[in-house]
Amino acid sequence: DSCSPRSIMAADPSAAAAPADPDGPDAVRFTWNAWPRSKVEASRCVVPLAVAISPVRSPESLASPPLPYPPLRCKPPCSALLNPFARVDFAAKIWICPLCFSRNHFPPHYAGISENNVPAELFTQCSTVEYLVAGPPGSPAPLPPVFLFVIDTCVIEEELEYVKLSMRKAVALLPEHALVGLVTFGTQVHLHELGFSELSKIYVFRGSKEISKEQILDQLGLSGGGRPGFPKMTQQPGVQQVNGMHPLVTTGVNRFLLPVSECECTLSTLLDELQPDQWPVEAGNRAIRCTGVALNVAAGLLGACVPGTGARIIALLGGPCTEGPGVIVSKDLSEPVRSHKDLDKDAAPHFQKAVKFYDGLAKQLVSQGHVLDVFASALDQVGLAEMKLAIERTGGLVVLSESFGHSVFKDSFKRIFEGGEHSLGLSFNGTFEINCSKDIKVQGVIGPCTSLEKKGALCADTIVGQGNTTAWKMCGLDRNTSLTVFFDVSPSERSGQPGHQNPDLYIQFVTSYQHPEGQMRIRATTVSRKWVDGSTNTEELVEGFDQETAAVVLARYISLKMEIEEEFDATRWLDRSLIRLCSRFGDYRKDDPSSFSLHSNFSLFPQFMFNLRRSQFVQVFNNSPDETAYFRMLLNRESITNSVAMIQPSLISFSFDSPPSPVFLDVASIAVDRILLLDAYFSVVIFHGMTIAQWRNMCYQNQPEHQQFAQLLQAPQEEAQVIINGRFPVPRLVVCDQHGSQARFLLAKLNPSATYNSAHDVPPGSDIIFTDDVSFQVFCEHLQRLAVQS
Amino acid sequence: MPGMPGAMPPNALGQGMPSTPTMPYSPHAEAQVSTPSKIDPNQIPRPITETSVVIFETRQAGQAAVPPAASSEFIVKDTGNCSPRLMRCTMNQIPCTGDLLTTSGMPLAIMVQPFALPHPSEEAIQLVDFGEMGPIRCSRCKAYINPFMRFVDQGKIFICNLCGFSNDTPREYLCNLGPDGRRRDADDRPELCRGTVEFIATKEFLVREPMPAVYFFLVDVSMNAIQTGATAAACSAISQSLSDLPEGPRTMVGIATFDSTIHFYSLKRAQQQPLMLIVPDIQDVYTPLQMDLILPVSECRDSLEQLLESIPSMFENNRVADSAFGAAMKAGFLAMKPTGGKLLVFQSVLPSVGTGSLSARETEGRSNISSGDKEAHKLLQPVDKTLKTMALEFAEYQVCVDVFLTTQSYTDVASISVVPSTTGGRVYYYFPFSALSDPAKLFNDLRWNITRPQGLEAVMRVRCSQGLQVQDYSGNFCKRVPTDIDLPAIDSDKTIMVSFKHDDKFQENSECGFQCALLYTTVYGQRRIRVINISLPCTSMLSNLFRCADLEAQFTYVVKQAANGIPSSSLSQVRDQVTSTCINILQSYRQYCASVSSSGQLILPEALKLLPLYTLALTKSIGLRNDGRLDDRSYWVSIVSSVSVSLAVPLVFPRMIALHDLTSRDDEDPLIPNPLTLNSENIQDNGIYLLENGEDGFIHVRNAVNPATLEQIFGFSSLAGAPNLLVLEQFDNVLSRKVNEVVNEIRRQRCSYLRLRLCQKGDPSGDFFRSLLVEDKAPGGLSYVEFLVHVHRQIQSKMT
Repeated sequence: DSCSPRSIMAADPSAAAAPADPDGPDAVRFTWNAWPRSKVEASRCVVPLAVAISPVRSPESLASPPLPYPPLRCKPPCSALLNPFARVDFAAKIWICPLCFSRNHFPPHYAGISENNVPAELFTQCSTVEYLVAGPPGSPAPLPPVFLFVIDTCVIEEELEYVKLSMRKAVALLPEHALVGLVTFGTQVHLHELGFSELSKIYVFRGSKEISKEQILDQLGLSGGGRPGFPKMTQQPGVQQVNGMHPLVTTGVNRFLLPVSECECTLSTLLDELQPDQWPVEAGNRAIRCTGVALNVAAGLLGACVPGTGARIIALLGGPCTEGPGVIVSKDLSEPVRSHKDLDKDAAPHFQKAVKFYDGLAKQLVSQGHVLDVFASALDQVGLAEMKLAIERTGGLVVLSESFGHSVFKDSFKRIFEGGEHSLGLSFNGTFEINCSKDIKVQGVIGPCTSLEKKGALCADTIVGQGNTTAWKMCGLDRNTSLTVFFDVSPSERSGQPGHQNPDLYIQFVTSYQHPEGQMRIRATTVSRKWVDGSTNTEELVEGFDQETAAVVLARYISLKMEIEEEFDATRWLDRSLIRLCSRFGDYRKDDPSSFSLHSNFSLFPQFMFNLRRSQFVQVFNNSPDETAYFRMLLNRESITNSVAMIQPSLISFSFDSPPSPVFLDVASIAVDRILLLDAYFSVVIFHGMTIAQWRNMCYQNQPEHQQFAQLLQAPQEEAQVIINGRFPVPRLVVCDQHGSQARFLLAKLNPSATYNSAHDVPPGSDIIFTDDVSFQVFCEHLQRLAVQS
Repeated sequence: MPGMPGAMPPNALGQGMPSTPTMPYSPHAEAQVSTPSKIDPNQIPRPITETSVVIFETRQAGQAAVPPAASSEFIVKDTGNCSPRLMRCTMNQIPCTGDLLTTSGMPLAIMVQPFALPHPSEEAIQLVDFGEMGPIRCSRCKAYINPFMRFVDQGKIFICNLCGFSNDTPREYLCNLGPDGRRRDADDRPELCRGTVEFIATKEFLVREPMPAVYFFLVDVSMNAIQTGATAAACSAISQSLSDLPEGPRTMVGIATFDSTIHFYSLKRAQQQPLMLIVPDIQDVYTPLQMDLILPVSECRDSLEQLLESIPSMFENNRVADSAFGAAMKAGFLAMKPTGGKLLVFQSVLPSVGTGSLSARETEGRSNISSGDKEAHKLLQPVDKTLKTMALEFAEYQVCVDVFLTTQSYTDVASISVVPSTTGGRVYYYFPFSALSDPAKLFNDLRWNITRPQGLEAVMRVRCSQGLQVQDYSGNFCKRVPTDIDLPAIDSDKTIMVSFKHDDKFQENSECGFQCALLYTTVYGQRRIRVINISLPCTSMLSNLFRCADLEAQFTYVVKQAANGIPSSSLSQVRDQVTSTCINILQSYRQYCASVSSSGQLILPEALKLLPLYTLALTKSIGLRNDGRLDDRSYWVSIVSSVSVSLAVPLVFPRMIALHDLTSRDDEDPLIPNPLTLNSENIQDNGIYLLENGEDGFIHVRNAVNPATLEQIFGFSSLAGAPNLLVLEQFDNVLSRKVNEVVNEIRRQRCSYLRLRLCQKGDPSGDFFRSLLVEDKAPGGLSYVEFLVHVHRQIQSKMT
């Protein structure tokens, strides 16, 4: 029965459980760990040649402490950093770059190297290494992080109180030297001048009018030339620098951005006095909310005060923008916020304009090196779909929740300010560069970054995501930030000749960034993989297939295609890809479906595709455009392991009979005496079987003789907490009972092996799903039939 | 003169060379210039001060009485015609035909000052409430019921005195007629026996709830304003004035400051520190809050006082030299838009940025001086339409702007004054601003501005009997339709001139009625209609017109016409125009009323005998003289546009009194001694003189003054180093007390605090003083005698 769906799924889901560090010390995962040499072969692989990398993940995992000297670089145009794969001639004090084969002399200060005295960057285990870079002379490091809060006041009193509570916690958690600014907005934008002590001083910008950066600077008296009347800030010798800023900008810094230690009181008073927007909301209308101008002003202020240093705009949004640039819906409540259907039918009149506005904002922020974080907490959509570009291009964080009082917001918000074990390691001002062997071309990157338009020989003709460059800006990045780099192979004539072929390919990722502590660092990861020769040798390819990475890369790839290609049929595309992949790499006799089987490296892949087809990434019509944007942004920036959970949630069963164990993501896994724990990344569901729920309702867990039951109840809670603690954004925790209304959070994710059509087969106590969706079994039957077709 | 009977026979006193006339002067006769070879300067006409208080009944024996001079003290008894303070016609008999009017050369206009201060002994204007029905009106021309509407047919019909329409008397208003044909209740009903009454407005007069009294203060805090002390003075004045605001919950206040941005303040937050809201977009302003910028004064007085105290120090180190006056006004306006109200702006520099910013045109004017007089007047026009457009919008939403210019430099008053003059406000001008002496005047001006009788959101219309029609209104208001004028605010100091032209003939012995109806809201929120009536006899006799001419009203007309002309024609043209108006009137009289025998003489109609003197003074006034600053001239023009009859004359023909010998006067004497003739022969070398024009008080101290006298009045015995701008203190001596009494009495009369300035010989200020002595010969100006000769020659040449 080797061809049954079960065999494809792998007999035991626990086998899919990730090893300790699935991403390895380099935090690099390839879809294919062995690469075909030709374009044709590459396209026959179906799944693109791609690499997922978390550029600054887990510094603890680094084999060496940061190196206190700058890296050595190969001669241009290669400029790759010296790495363990370099061939070193210790006698001649020469190293040969593995990427371009250039010979480089070591500089004089490397004179002491020998076989017994090797610098850390040449250690084999140091394929990933970090350098400390001293700033330009005279610039006193470290730079303080800058946080500009942008708070929506078009919310009800209760929500605003939640915001204040979270803000107070945040301010208390911020490092003393961090610079803080505050913008509040509703009908108009209020920029608070924190450095003015005599009374609360607020600059008010109208919400209805787009305002250029120059106008903002001029109106705030911050423009470089100095507005007439404002003293020109000429650089005088001996002028004390404030917070390491150039004196030119210190006026703005002193007025609007202050170290926490200096403005804690002012901030606290401001928060105390902050009221919901005072402008009236007419009956039948939405509140007038000028999110666009607020972000405009915030970006302009940062651009004037702290260009080029790490700063983030943290926007707390409570509803849709209804005024000025970036409007996503009119004030009239009778007009609903655009849905996927509207977008599809081109019936979203504000969409393109808003997208264009936020695109401009993204460009501005990227050029300034600043980040936009959005915390959207509203029952209605706030316009994440339109803002997506500005968030993703700047590497901003995004959290979507229903209320500022919800733990998804509260705990996530707190996380970004927390240090220690759970610190996100928020870093700034990153530049991500790729150097690679010359038969490899870079198609582009999907993920939180922006092309720096550094074109070169390494750029491929076809573009995926941010392409046509070998360098990207990452205004904001953190330990979780992951990028997917798409490659193409393009063998040159010379490399095609036998004898000149190098068996290994090399790729180097270089990330320079402003560490949370302020200094600039460079992280370099150099990896090597094997070339596979010829078209017949599928075995090496199969051995090198990473099905999790492949599933995630496909998910990211089709999400992008769905966004940019009109009428793109994702389901069909996925089906065809899966069939092609199975035809190419499956074992079967032609036209005999029953003969079909897959190598274990591929065995989970059909199920990933089955779930991907059913997921929020493909079935967008079940979600709002905001949710879709949110899901995709996180899919694009998360690690492979986390992204897999988004596509195919994990399900763990807790029962008296056995220790907690993974079970099939199938409705058949439901049982009255089980507790199920579903981790769907965005939500974590604890699902009590009917009997368990009854016992709990009767409070058996409180009786001493039922200690074991109490423990059984507790166990999934603890497990859920572990998941929640390790994740940003904090997932939504749903605790529900079988047949309860909240149970839908679980049922929606399960394979409908039992539906109302098959209800008569279902054993008592288990569940059915009311759906016409095909089950995984049916899916696999079709797959096998189509894969073996000649 | 009042009660002068009959036409005056022309009374020629000799013949001779016209070029050397003499002028024996008799107050009871027509003034004449006669032949003897020398003019006796003591005999030429000059104003004489009436010292007794006249009781003036507006109608006597069914006839309109000729009112006493506006400058004299009188007590009015309203017996059917309104008080002449409220309405004064240029002629107290109306020519039957337009031709007759043209022949006379005289203007036909009335000066309406609807809130003119009454004499303390006068009866208050009575308030009439017709209840739901509202005031009785003519159903054709909508004129209000007045003593001149005739009830006929047992009172069932009343005939409108203005349009002649026969109306049915409403049943509720029916009343039998007495044997004299009047309604029996006529004497009990103010609207039937008084020239002026007020009606309570009914719903049909309300387009919205009567507005609250809103006062919004805008204070310039740009660098110059702060450094000259102007900001501090403004804040202090506002703070002190808060207690003078009308009491009650309907009085609202708000404040904003501005430099190159506009700073609003929210004072609502009782325990918290005030909130400063900055509007930085001065090209396109907006209001930063919908509510809480304007609050009932009772709710925010303390916090407002605190704020006013801290503003000068808060901006102490302000280095922003720019001032966004126009944008700030616009922003203030937006805050007041829902209610309307008074916007009081304290501005200290030339508005240099934002909407309605201005440029230093004065320098432009100076550099263009070579191009001559021809273009110079353009600098007295507003530079563009921006502020006018703004002002029209303000007026539409019942916002009245007063601008207090506390400045050291050119501020383009010509452009700025458009806003107050369109919205029923005015410009106050403190140049050069002195932090020492001007704060007191600023405070007094502001307080008077707030406390004087006034009305809000007013609409005014003047109706007249068939035969005449309104030709034009002139004053500080906004006119949207030809018949009405809109006055966001109207106060006791403001006068509106209404000119008329004939469109038909009047019957001899008929009467021509004028009715001014002013719909307004009191500062306490009551909507009222003030109806002011006058009915004057019509005549076809030119001599009657001359006999009943009102010199001051006519002269006020001439002054206002001249002021209107200044921005559009060259000064010499305006002066020529003024002089020829005078000559034409006198020529008409000479030609048609004087005896043939007196052809060689300059014969002046008694009522208008001072016209040449006043005309001469006008040609030498700040507005029409060649030298002087642009802003001073613009300010003069702006003042004149709303000036009352009683203040127009002193503005060009000032009053000079001696201060040094005040101690010689008895306490029973009138407080103010008789004015001295305005020529230098009257100035003694040991004297101290005060010359006042209702705006400024110039104190001229002669060289030989006894230092003890100086000490008594000023507290210092030597003028060396004395400041030009004076603070008059009261010292413990009789002379000082008397000087203070005199100055205070003048202030009371003029409703103006007077800027006191010291003028010393050998100093520009001394020369300026000299230039105000209008009878003297001056560079480019004739002496009084020379002017009379000139007038006479002109008349002669016209007649031949």
